[in-house]
Order: sequence, then structure tokens, then C-alpha cells
Amino acid sequence: MNAFTYIEPATIEEALATLVRHGEEAKLIAGGTGLVNLMKQRLVNPGCVVSLRRLAGLADVNLDDGKNLLIGALCTHRTLESSPIVREHAPLLAEAARRVATIRIRTMATLGGAVVHADPNQDLPPALIALDARVKLRSPKGEREVPIDQFFTGYYETVTQPDEIVTGIAIPPSARTTGSAYLKFLPQTADDYATVSVAARVALNNGTIADARVALGAAASTPLHARVVEDALRGQAPTRKTLEQAAALVGAIVDPIADFRGSVPYKRDMAIVFVRRALGDAIAAAGGAVI
Amino acid sequence: MEKAVMEGPRSIGQSAGHVEGPAKVTGRARYSADITLPGMLWGRALRSSFPHARIVSIDLSAARRVPGVHAVISGADLPEVRIGRFLRDIPVLARDRVRFIGEKVVAVAAETPDAADEALSLVDVEYEELPAVFDPIEAMAPDAPLIHEHPERYEHPPIPPIGGESRYHPFANVCSQSIYRRGDLAQGMATAERIFEHTFVVPPVHQGYIEPHACAAAIGPDGKIDIWISNKTPFIARRQLAAAFGVPEERVRVNPTSIGGDFGGKGSLMDSALCYFLARASRRPVRMVMNYTEELTAGNPRHSGVISLRTGVTRDGTIIAHQAKLIFNCGAYGAFIPLHFLHGSVHSAAGPYRIPHIEIESLRVYTNTVPRGHFRSPGAPQTTFAVESHMDMIAGELGMDPLEFRLRNVLVEGDESAMGERFHHIRCGETLTAAADAAKWNSPKPPNVGRGIGIYERAPGAFGTSGATLSLDRDGKLILITGAADTGTGSFTVLAQVVAEELQAPLADVIVCQGDTDTAEWEEGAGGSRLTHMAGRATLIAASEMKRALIELAARHFNCTSEQVQMRARRFIASDGRELDWKSLVAWAAEHEALPLTRSGSYVAAGHPDVTCYVAQVAEVEVDRETGQVRVRRMVSAHDVGTVINPLTHQGQIEGGLVQGLGQAMSEHLLLRDGAVTTAHLGDYKLPTAMDIPELTTVLVESQTGPGPFAGKSIGELSNVPPPAAIANAVFDAVGVRLTDLPITAEKIYTALRAMEKRN
Amino acid sequence: MKNIQVRVNGHPVAREIPDHRLLVDFLRYDLGLTGTKEGCSVGVCGACTVLLNGQPVSSCLALAVMADGGEVTTIEGLAEGDRLHPLQQAFIDYGGFQCGVCTPGQIMASKALLDANPHPTPAQIKEWMMGNLCRCTGYYKIIEAIQAAAAEKTEP
Repeated sequence: MNAFTYIEPATIEEALATLVRHGEEAKLIAGGTGLVNLMKQRLVNPGCVVSLRRLAGLADVNLDDGKNLLIGALCTHRTLESSPIVREHAPLLAEAARRVATIRIRTMATLGGAVVHADPNQDLPPALIALDARVKLRSPKGEREVPIDQFFTGYYETVTQPDEIVTGIAIPPSARTTGSAYLKFLPQTADDYATVSVAARVALNNGTIADARVALGAAASTPLHARVVEDALRGQAPTRKTLEQAAALVGAIVDPIADFRGSVPYKRDMAIVFVRRALGDAIAAAGGAVI
Repeated sequence: MEKAVMEGPRSIGQSAGHVEGPAKVTGRARYSADITLPGMLWGRALRSSFPHARIVSIDLSAARRVPGVHAVISGADLPEVRIGRFLRDIPVLARDRVRFIGEKVVAVAAETPDAADEALSLVDVEYEELPAVFDPIEAMAPDAPLIHEHPERYEHPPIPPIGGESRYHPFANVCSQSIYRRGDLAQGMATAERIFEHTFVVPPVHQGYIEPHACAAAIGPDGKIDIWISNKTPFIARRQLAAAFGVPEERVRVNPTSIGGDFGGKGSLMDSALCYFLARASRRPVRMVMNYTEELTAGNPRHSGVISLRTGVTRDGTIIAHQAKLIFNCGAYGAFIPLHFLHGSVHSAAGPYRIPHIEIESLRVYTNTVPRGHFRSPGAPQTTFAVESHMDMIAGELGMDPLEFRLRNVLVEGDESAMGERFHHIRCGETLTAAADAAKWNSPKPPNVGRGIGIYERAPGAFGTSGATLSLDRDGKLILITGAADTGTGSFTVLAQVVAEELQAPLADVIVCQGDTDTAEWEEGAGGSRLTHMAGRATLIAASEMKRALIELAARHFNCTSEQVQMRARRFIASDGRELDWKSLVAWAAEHEALPLTRSGSYVAAGHPDVTCYVAQVAEVEVDRETGQVRVRRMVSAHDVGTVINPLTHQGQIEGGLVQGLGQAMSEHLLLRDGAVTTAHLGDYKLPTAMDIPELTTVLVESQTGPGPFAGKSIGELSNVPPPAAIANAVFDAVGVRLTDLPITAEKIYTALRAMEKRN
Repeated sequence: MKNIQVRVNGHPVAREIPDHRLLVDFLRYDLGLTGTKEGCSVGVCGACTVLLNGQPVSSCLALAVMADGGEVTTIEGLAEGDRLHPLQQAFIDYGGFQCGVCTPGQIMASKALLDANPHPTPAQIKEWMMGNLCRCTGYYKIIEAIQAAAAEKTEP
């Protein structure tokens, strides 16, 4: 790891000013599990590392008046998996967080880091897409919100500007008859990146699928929102055949890379299998049954 | 109760936690990377990024100017020596040529790792790339690039007469060739009614010890060279280091350290010779600690290979003839194995079967890849995967149950093995049956669930010399000094139990110290499942001598002859009824200046042991047909054992080995692309985790027949061998997919299942 | 360079360190607490597990400056004098280690587990401990050791 200057701003304004001052030399650090690994391999060599850890309030979990779930960027994966509020209002996010790496990573790694790192193999982004989350960003010019499925622009790339800090996530309330599931396919060992992962959320209405969200990890250069699957499900009865046909549509949109976790054709086939399974599990969680 | 008091405390057969436990659970145990000496520098190495290249020039000038850097050396700064555990073919730093990605070219010693890394980044090496070859079969082709131009110049000790005809460098790019023949293969094949031929592929895998190699070197003002090294055979390391340094052995002292896992991989010098040359150049103590990426890319992983088997049988399933051709990739150098060939591959190519006509050829072929080394029962896991899969495939073709086919062909008492060994107390069939019974071999199975079996045989290690020094101190404690390192197997604890048993002492009164190579008796060290047997015997001799000396002391005290004194329950009893307890004898001896009392033992192998050990395993798996994913639901491991000296550590060897075998079956694969290891960290090289282990049932088929002290056998290199075959056989049983290459991945099974569906 | 103040195993420690010092190197080479081991260096194997403010972390991925003002517990901080922590004793008694190099990390991770969940089921133990690789034991005896320590653990 190359030497750098470590700065710990006390306020968000100070942090933003530090980013502006150091420009491209600066990198933000939260839990550090991503950045430190990259720096140790000298893949990223910032002259200045700006820590967010002293910024008050950025690790909070709250519900606003509109029942939106507001989660600060510094909230750790461990908090996401164990927070009663998250577990009640976004069980999909809690489950995806629980499946991330190991307990040591989850105690350090943060929600903001997981989002801004934009690793298409990670677990939280598909869950956040399936939850219609919005990413809150702050810059010296002010605040903005970006729907999560417009946030990721490429492999490890996002819409975040060099002078911006991700401050948190907002998740709108789900209908009561909604169920969700997060499936992570780990055919090698229990501690691995997914060969494919699927987050699914299904809202039922009188025995039909009112709405659905499906997103995949490890399936493309960005976390993948499978709208084509959702469109095929809306208004349909949850039959095994419907799920199979809808899941099969994901085959045309996945664009995985071949690696030791699987070839492209295998990952494509597994995406189809796990979309179908996740939808089935989500329907069951919503109190429905696949017929 | 009365009887127990009469006999004194018994240690053999009792579960005892590791005697070095308190140091290990509190962080006090010192491993090589923990050694810090005043003025110590950090040594780091620049490694080749080319698989095969001529070194045109090296410019060290900019590196030497980095503040905090005390030495920068290249091969030109070193004497022209090559090192190795048997064949000495690897230079300490590359000279003129690099032969694999990761070969050390330049080394630096600096005050901080950062300064060392900065210096290395400023080294300018000009290479001229040469054609490279990565595959052992391609490397044997006539037009293949020559990896070693003058291998005949490499030195090695005389080749011992084991395993048939063996020779080094028989033809271009072949490091070693070994051929074993018995009977008449052609005649055997001609008599056979059916002949089956299958080829198997095994990938390179890493030992996966959690402690990367580390070492430290310091040169005293008197020229004494102190070495700390994560090496399981300190005395052999001393011999090799002295040869590399060009000094007499007594100038080198290898100091004891804890070893953070070995599994065969910690027998080489790795960086320690280089570390010394850095200490010499910088006139400061130097430490070198490999990082895990260096371990995976440039350590000494297991030989990968292609194994072709051809077996002739009668229609009723009796093996008549068997031919094995084993082509192993040994990487760029052959230096990392302690024998001239991969002995275990030849031995296990025959398996525990009665085979009248057999021919085995085992080759180790040079390629421009990471050099390969030993890994827990070296040669056997690869070969046993092939042999035990092959046996199942033959049974299947003959319409026989795989267990029945094996029981028909395995050795029974009175048989001579295919390798010409005559073992007594052969319990091969019993062990197979015990595994099958515990696994309910014939019970009904749910859909997509299958069972598979595998067997392996390995005799306790009986080679080299072991030594032990035992002292009685003024507190009445027994201090055992051994030259053996405990690599984690519990050998210190077993040796303490041997002393405690012989001298009827509580285990807590025995203190085991690993001596350095100046103070301990010569000890061949850990390896080949020899320590319990060999060091155990040496320790037992020292303990028996101590007992005799104590009885003589008591006789002096009683003023009688030693024949008139008996030791019972830690009391010395004269024939006239007078008694003296241990404490009083020690006090009397102290007064009469007889303490400390020291006795030594030395034990030399008496030849190949006449008993052996069998392990039979049954795996039960469930296959997800939609994904190809295999879940190993349960494993049964049945072992033919001698006296179990320490049930706790014995079971630990079985469990740990089995999970290593599981990893090699299911997830471990050191992937290479164009000679570069691409699974270069433990995130990509997949070791099993606590979530991945199956339910395990262990069965011990006991008998008091081992060659070790108190009739113990060996256990360390057995349970890791059959899992890949047992699991592959179980997968076939579950869904009809036969995999002939490891690891058993979900995708391979998925692809095979889809192909089967298309065919049907 | 930065001045940092950390409570290490209950003792206040102040040091001036380079900004990019890793916590594992700070512990091992600045403080001489070599009980914490470095295995994989990428946060996977768990050998370097320490507790930072009570939470298990990979000290090979943590910057020492990020521990400033905090509390670090290492394997050296568990025993009270000669009295081993129940987990330490259980790891010895139940054969929860062999070579011992992953053991400091295993014990720190399992301490964090029992602090969070004093009576874990075997499944919970496996899930929590899956990030601590052990190549010697095959994990069976580690799980037994943790269960045993949990059974003896008195309620606070």
C-alpha cells in the first residue's frame, strides 16, 4: 500500500470541502473493506483518504412520516441484518445483508460503501433495486436523489460525481401482501461471491401477481434490473408455468462474465433457475402459493 | 480404582489436549513471522512476470538509492549454488534465466516493508522472452522448448532402492521417471476376459496452511548463523542450508518455532537461504514473510497430472492385470520433494488389490509453471481418485456392486501386495465392511441421493533416525527434548504420553521442549507419517533408560541390587518390602548429586514395516438436478488402527484430513492461465469453511498391532485420500454422471446431465 | 504520521504511526502483540480477527488510524493472569486447534459470537464462524469447543 494522508472531517460540509480541495487525489473511506483491499493491491493509490466515520447521524436507521425507510450510508451490513426496523420494513435487505461475506466484513463494510463500490457481484445492490430504493447524494451544490436502478453505470462505476458523497438510501413502503426472497447461488463454498444471485419481491392481489421486482447480481457489468421478467408477471396468476416463462426471459438480458464460478452459458441457465426459485419463494413469503 | 492406583496413571489411550495448548490459545506461541531481533530488516523478493525468459540485464542502482534500503542482490551476487530437498535444481535467485512466473530474481533488505517494496519497484530487469510450455504432455513432445539445458549437472544424493527402477532426467523435460513391474503384464492382459481403460485429470491444489512461509536469519559475530524457519524438518533444513552457504553444518543453527500448518508443504527451504544471503549482504538480521498471493502463485503446490489406467479382469470380476501411466506436472523445478520421484503415486497406483501382473510408470515433467511439492500422502490423492473411480467404473460395467467388486479383489491375510510387500494383520476387507455397514450401504435412498466408496492403504512411516533426550530435574519433572517440530498434529503430546506411560508419571509432569539443532539429538523430523512411530520409539527408549536409571538409584538408596527393586505406581519397592516414593527418590538423588539425570534414545528404522493401515470411506451425496450442485450429506470414515495413543488428537487427524479431501473433491483448484496462477488469493482459491462440512461418522477397527510405541500405527495421511473418489462415485450413483476430472463442480455435473437428457 | 490513542486489552496506548499503517501491523510490529496472525491479507481467512469496539474485524483490512479513540481486544487480552478464558480452555480440552495459527482469530471470533449470542445452536456457530478458515481440524472440534464454552458460560 502506498502512503497517503488520512483526514477525518467532523462534519459533512467539511468532508465535501476536503473532497473539493483534493480533487482526484482523494478517496472516501467508510468501513474500508473494499478500499483497503484495492489500495493493498495498488489498484487504487489515492494521495488522500477521507474518512466518514466521525460524521454524526450517517449510521442511523429511521422511518419517516411517509413510512419510507431511511438508512444512513455508514450503517454497517451487521446493522442491516440485525436491525428490527430493517427486518420489519425491508426483510429483503436484511436477508441480502446477512448473506454478505463473513461476520468480520459485515461489521465493517457499510451500506454506502456497498452501493458506491458498484461491484456487480455484491449482494445489496440487487436487493435495493428490488426494493425501489433511492440513493441520496450530497455535494457542495446541495442534495439529490437517484433511483437505484439508474445509479450504476458500468463495472465499478456509478453516477456519483467526484464532489459528491452518498449519504444514505430511502426505501418506499411495500404493500402488505408483498413477499420477498434473496437467493445466492454458492456452488463452491459458503464464503464466496455468488455464481448468480437474485432478489425478488412480489405483491399479490386476490391471487394474482399485482406487481413484481426482480434484480440479479453477478449477471452483468452492473447489478441487473430484470424489467422484462416483471412485465411478464404483472397481472398473472402465480402458476409454475408463468414463473418458468417469465424467468426464461432473463436469459436474453443477462451478460455475465466467464470465470471459475461458471461459464457464460451456465451462469445464464442458473440465472433462469434462480429467478424462478426466488419468485416462488417471494410468492410464498407473500402468503401465496405457486399453483 | 484399586487397580488404577496400583498401576499408576495411564496416559496411553487417554484423550489429552495439546501440551503446547496454553501457548497457542493465548498468542504466546512464536511462529517464524513473530521473530523480531534488534536491527532486523524486512526482506522482499522481486519475482519474474514471465514464464520463461532469458535475463538480459538487471539494473539495481535506483533500488540501492532508496532510503532505508541496506541490501539489494541479484543472482550474480550469490555463489553458484542450487538448492533442493533431494534434487538440487533451483537457484536461490534466478541466474540468466527464469523458468516460471513467480521465480525470484532480485531481493532487497530494508528497514520497512514499504521501503523494500519501493526499492523493488525501481529494479529494472530486461528479459528476452523464450517459448514456454505449460502442459506436461506437450512438454514431452520432441519440439517442446527445453526448460533445463543441462539437468545432468544438478546434484542429488544417491538414489535409494525403492519403487522399482528410477532415474533422473531420462529424456528432455522429464525430471524423473519411475517404472515398477511385477508379473507379466502382456500375459496378464492376454488372459483377461475384459479390459477397461480410463483416463483421469487432477488439478494442482495448494496445501492451504494458514501460515504462509516465513523465515528469519541472523549472523553472529562469531560467524554462527541462526535461522528461524517454518520448516518441519529442522535438521534436514540445517544440512541443506549449510550446503547452500558453503559452511560446515555446525555453523548453522535452526531454531524451533511453532509451525502454522504443514501438510507436506513446509519441508523446503523456501526463502530461508535467500534470507541468509540478505543478512550477509546487509550485515543485519533479516526476516522474510511470504504473503498468501506468493504462497498460491509461487509456493510448492501438489503435482497435477493425467492418469491413465488399464485393467484386465475376468468375467466374474477378478483383477488379473493392471497398468498405470502417471504423468505429473512438476513445474519448473523438481527441488521441492524429498524423494527422487513421487513415490506415493506408484504405491497407490496398485491400490490395496491383489494383482498378479502389473506395470506402473510415473513421470514428473518439467513445465514453465510453479514448482510442485509434497502435500499430505504425496502422490496418493491424485492416483487414488483415479484408481478408486476406475474400480467403480469396472464394477459398473460388470454389473457388480462396487463394494462386492472390491471385497473380491482386496488383499487378505497371507497375500503379497502388488508392490511385493508382505503385511501381517491385513484388515482391508474388515475396514471396507465397517465403512459400508456404518453408512447403511444397502439401505434405500431418496431420488438423486447416492453413495460411493473409496479405499486407501498406507503403512506407518519407517525411515530415517529419531532421537530423544529425557532429563529428570530437581522438581521431579521429566523434560523431554526433541528435535522434531510439532506441525500441529499433536506429536509433542503423544511423545509426552509415551514418557508418562513408561514412567507412570502424570502427564503434567512431562515437559516437552523442541530443542534447536545444536542441543537436540538428530531427528529426521515430521513427514511420511513417521513421528509417532519413530520419534515415539526413540522417546520410549529414552524413557525406558530413565526408568532403569531410577531403579538403579533406588537400589543405591536401598543398598541392594537393581534386580531387587521394582517400580510400581510411582513407588520404588525393594524385595525386602522397603518403599520409596518418587518425590523422596528425587530428593535423595538431589542430595547425592545425581540430578539432573539425563538419558537419550535413538531409533533407526528397521526396514519397511510389516503392518499397514487402511482407510475406507463412504460418501453420501445429494445432487440438485436443476443446477448440478452436490451436497455431501454424510461421510463415513473407517480406519484400521493400532493402539490409539491419544483419541482426541487421533480423531483430529481424521477430521482435518477428511475436510482437506472434501476441499480437493469439491472446490479447490489452483487455476493457471499461460503459466500464471489466476486463483491468487484465498478469496478465489476456495478452502472449505465451517458451513461446508458434512455429517461425519468415524469407525475405528482396532487392533494392537502397530510398529509404534505401545503398538500404535499412523493416522495422519489417510482420511484425506479417498474423499474425491468416494464423492465422485456417489455422484455417479445418484444421477449417473461420471466425472473423471477434479474438482467436482456443479457446472460439470449440470453439463453432463443436460447432455444425458439430450441423448435420451 | 498521526498520533493515535487506543485502549488495547484495557491498557491505554499512544503511538505515532504512518497514516497507512494497518491495524494488524500496528498490533504485531508496533506493539509486539504477535498473537494476532496474518494469513491471507485480504480479509478472507480470519487469522487476524480482533475485536474493535467489541466487534470482530479483519485487522488486515483496518487502518490503525480508524481505531483511534477506540478499544481493541486481541488474543493476549483474554486470559486473566494464568486463568484462561473459558473459550481458551475449551479449545485445548476439545481439540479445537492443531497448528494453532488460526486459533487466535478463531477464539476472538467465537468470543464475539458468545458475547452476541451466549447459547448458539451448532448451525449458528457454523454460520458465524464460516469466516475463520482452519486447515487442520476440519472445524468439527472447533464447533464442539465453542458449544462447550457456551454451556459453561455463566450469565453476566
